Amino acid sequence: MKRYDLIVIGAGPSGLSAGIEAAKSGANVIIFDENARPGGQLFKQIHKFFGSKEHRAKVRGFNIGSQLLKEADEAGAEVRLNSTVLGIYQDKEVVVRSGEAITHYKADAIIVATGASENMVPFEGWTLPGVIGAGAAQTMLNLHGLLPGKRVLMLGSGNVGLVVSFQLKQCGCEVVALADAAPRIGGYGVHAAKVARYGIPFYLPYTIKKVEGTDHVTGVVIAKIDQNFKFIEGSEKHFDVDTICVAVGLSPMSQLMKMAGCEMDDNPKKGGQVPVIDEHGQTSVPGIFAAGDVSGIEEASSAMIEGRQAGIYAANYLGYIDDEKMNEKEASLDAALDGLRQGMFAPSNRGKKIEKTEEGIDISENLLAKGYVADDEIERFPGVIRKIGIHPVMECTQNIPCNPCQDACPKGCIKIGSKITSLPVVDQTKDCIGCGMCVASCPGQAIFLLNENVGDGMAEVTIPYEFMSVPEKGDKGVALSRSGHPLCIAEVVSVKSSPAYDKTSLLTMRIPKEFAMKARFYKSEVLAKTV
Amino acid sequence: MNKVVDRSLGDREFVKGADDDMIICRCEEITKGEIRRAVHDGMYTMAEIRRYLRCTMGLCQGQTCAKLVKGIVARELGVPAAELEPASSRSPMRPTEMYIFANEESEEETGVCL
Ligand SMILES: Cc1cc2nc3c(=O)[nH]c(=O)nc-3n(C[C@H](O)[C@H](O)[C@H](O)COP(=O)(O)OP(=O)(O)OC[C@H]3O[C@@H](n4cnc5c(N)ncnc54)[C@H](O)[C@@H]3O)c2cc1C
Ligand code: SF4
Ligand code: SF4
Repeated sequence: MKRYDLIVIGAGPSGLSAGIEAAKSGANVIIFDENARPGGQLFKQIHKFFGSKEHRAKVRGFNIGSQLLKEADEAGAEVRLNSTVLGIYQDKEVVVRSGEAITHYKADAIIVATGASENMVPFEGWTLPGVIGAGAAQTMLNLHGLLPGKRVLMLGSGNVGLVVSFQLKQCGCEVVALADAAPRIGGYGVHAAKVARYGIPFYLPYTIKKVEGTDHVTGVVIAKIDQNFKFIEGSEKHFDVDTICVAVGLSPMSQLMKMAGCEMDDNPKKGGQVPVIDEHGQTSVPGIFAAGDVSGIEEASSAMIEGRQAGIYAANYLGYIDDEKMNEKEASLDAALDGLRQGMFAPSNRGKKIEKTEEGIDISENLLAKGYVADDEIERFPGVIRKIGIHPVMECTQNIPCNPCQDACPKGCIKIGSKITSLPVVDQTKDCIGCGMCVASCPGQAIFLLNENVGDGMAEVTIPYEFMSVPEKGDKGVALSRSGHPLCIAEVVSVKSSPAYDKTSLLTMRIPKEFAMKARFYKSEVLAKTV
Repeated sequence: MNKVVDRSLGDREFVKGADDDMIICRCEEITKGEIRRAVHDGMYTMAEIRRYLRCTMGLCQGQTCAKLVKGIVARELGVPAAELEPASSRSPMRPTEMYIFANEESEEETGVCL
C-alpha cells in the first residue's frame, strides 16, 4: 500500500489547483486522472476564457491546463495520468487502475475533483450512431482532430451548446440549427451572438421529435413545444443532418463520494447528486473534501478557486498550515469566488427571468430569443457609442463575470470598475489608438473597432476573426449583420495578426457608412455574389 | 433530501404510452415501457428497478441512463425525481476486466510498504 498525505482524484482545473495549494504547504500529494492528458475539460477548450486576470481570463482553456500542470510540477505534486480511481474504501483507501494492474493507495485526506458527465435526452432514434454529446464532439474535434460529422443540429443553447456550435463551424462543419426546449437562450449572449452572426438559426422552444435513419443519422425533425412539453402540431421542421449534438447539461460525477459514505443531496440547481459539504468543502466524512463541478456545476474559473480552497483546507486538516494562515489565504479566495458568483448567470439566478441589467437597462429580448441584439436595441448599452475617429464598441450586454477588456486597453478607454459583472463602458475622454488589444482579448468576441467616417461615404469596422482561411488585404466579400444577413459589399483593408493577439486575427473591412453600426462579420467573395 | 417512497401510492392502472418502445438503457436494452411497467409491478426504488430490470448496470454503469430512468420512475410514481434515492454506487467506478482486478501490484514490486 502506498501512502500519501493527500490523494486528489481528478486533474481538471479544480484537482490541479487543489494539489498545487496542498503541495505548496508541504503536504505529500498525488493526483490521479483517468485521461491521458491532464486538465480535465480544459484541454478541449480552444476558446479564450471569461473572468478576470486572476482567473486567467482571455487565456485559452488548454493553455490554462498546461500552466496548471507546470505549477503542480513545481510545487512537487505528483500527477499520475491514465490512472482511474475505481473506488474509495474505508479509512481512505483508494484503489487505482493503471494499465493492466490495480494498486492500493492510502492517504490521510482525499479531495474528490472528478468533474461532471453529460446528460442525455431520449427521443425517437436517439440510439442511432451520429447522436452524440456536445462534449464528445468537442473531444473529437479538439483532442483527436476528427470531425464528428458534416451537417450538425445542436440541441441545447447553454454555453456548451453555443461554444461547441462555434467550434464546429471553425472546423468546417455546417451547423444547421440550434434548438432548445427552453423559451430563452441559456448561455452567455456574447457566445450566442458569435453563432448568430454566422446565420445559424435558433429554434426556441423547440425540441427533437425524431431522428431519422436506419443504421446512422440521416435527418432530424424538430418541433415547437407548449408549456406542458407537448409538441405543437404543424410546427415541425426537417433538416438533413448526419450528426446530432446534445448539450443539455452536465451531472456531477459524485459516485466515488457516495461510495465513500459521504452524505449526499439531490440538488437540481447544482446539476444532480452532490455531496453535502461544510464551509470548508469537507464532506460528512472527515478528511474527504470535494471541489469543482463534482460539488455543483459551475465554471472552470470557480473550479480553480474552489480547488485552491480545498487544497488549503486539506493542508490545514493535515496539520501543514494553522488556522490563522488558512483564514488569511481563504479570505481573498472567498472574495474572488463571490465576485464570480454575481451577475445574471450566478448560480442563485438559475432559472429566473431577468429583465434589467444591474445598471437598470432593459435586457435585449431579441438576444434571448434569436441570439443577437436587434439594431434598435444595441445603442441602449453603454459599450456602444458613436464618436468621431476610431473607437471601440463593446456589444457585451449582460452582467457576466468578465473584464479582460478593461485591462487590455493601454489607453484606459474601457471601464468596468471593481465589480466584475458590470457592463463595459467607453470612457469618451480617452483617445483610442486603434491598437486592437481589446478586440483580441475579448473572449466573447464582442468588441469591434469602428471608424464611422473614413471619407467618401465609407466606414471601417474591425472584427475578431478566428477561422482557418484568413482573408487577405484587398479581398472583397460581403459584410454580414448581427443575424448573419448579407448587408453590403465589404473590402478587406487590413488583416493583423500578432503574438499578443493570441491567434485571433483582426480583420478591418471597409463598407458604406450607413452600415457601420450593423456590419459585424465578413464572409468571403463566394457569398458576395448573392447580394 | 431523499424520502422513502410511500408504498401506498395505490395500484394505478398501467396506461400504455406512445413512446414505450423507446430504449432508455442502451447497454441492457431496456425500454421506457419496461421501466414504467416495473413501477406498476411494485418496484418503487432505483435499487429495486435495477435488480428487476438490470438497467443502469451495463457497461456505462448508468452514466447515460441513470438520470433518465430516475425521471421515468419519478413521473410514474408522481414524486419529484430529487426525492428518489439513487441506487448505490459501487466499485469499480469503470468497467474493469476480472483479470485486471486480480492483478494487484504487490508491495515488493512497488518498493513502498507500510
Ligand atoms: C464546452 C465547454 C465549454 C466551457 N467553457 C468554459 C469557459 O469558457 N469558461 C469557464 O470558466 N468554464 C468553461 N467550461 C466549464 C469548465 O470546463 C468546467 O467547469 C471545469 O472544467 C470543471 O472543473 P473540474 O476540475 O471540476 O472538472 P473537470 O474539468 O471535468 O475535471 C475532472 C477530471 O477528473 C477525472 N476523473 C473523473 N473521474 C475519475 C476517476 N474515477 N478516476 C480518475 N480520474 C477521474 C476526469 O477525467 C477529468 O479529467 C466549459 C465546459 C464545457 C464542457
Ligand atoms: S483599440 Fe487599443 S486603444 Fe482602442 S480601445 Fe481597444 S485597446 Fe484601447
Ligand atoms: S466586452 Fe469585456 S466584459 Fe464583455 S466579454 Fe468582452 S472582455 Fe468580457
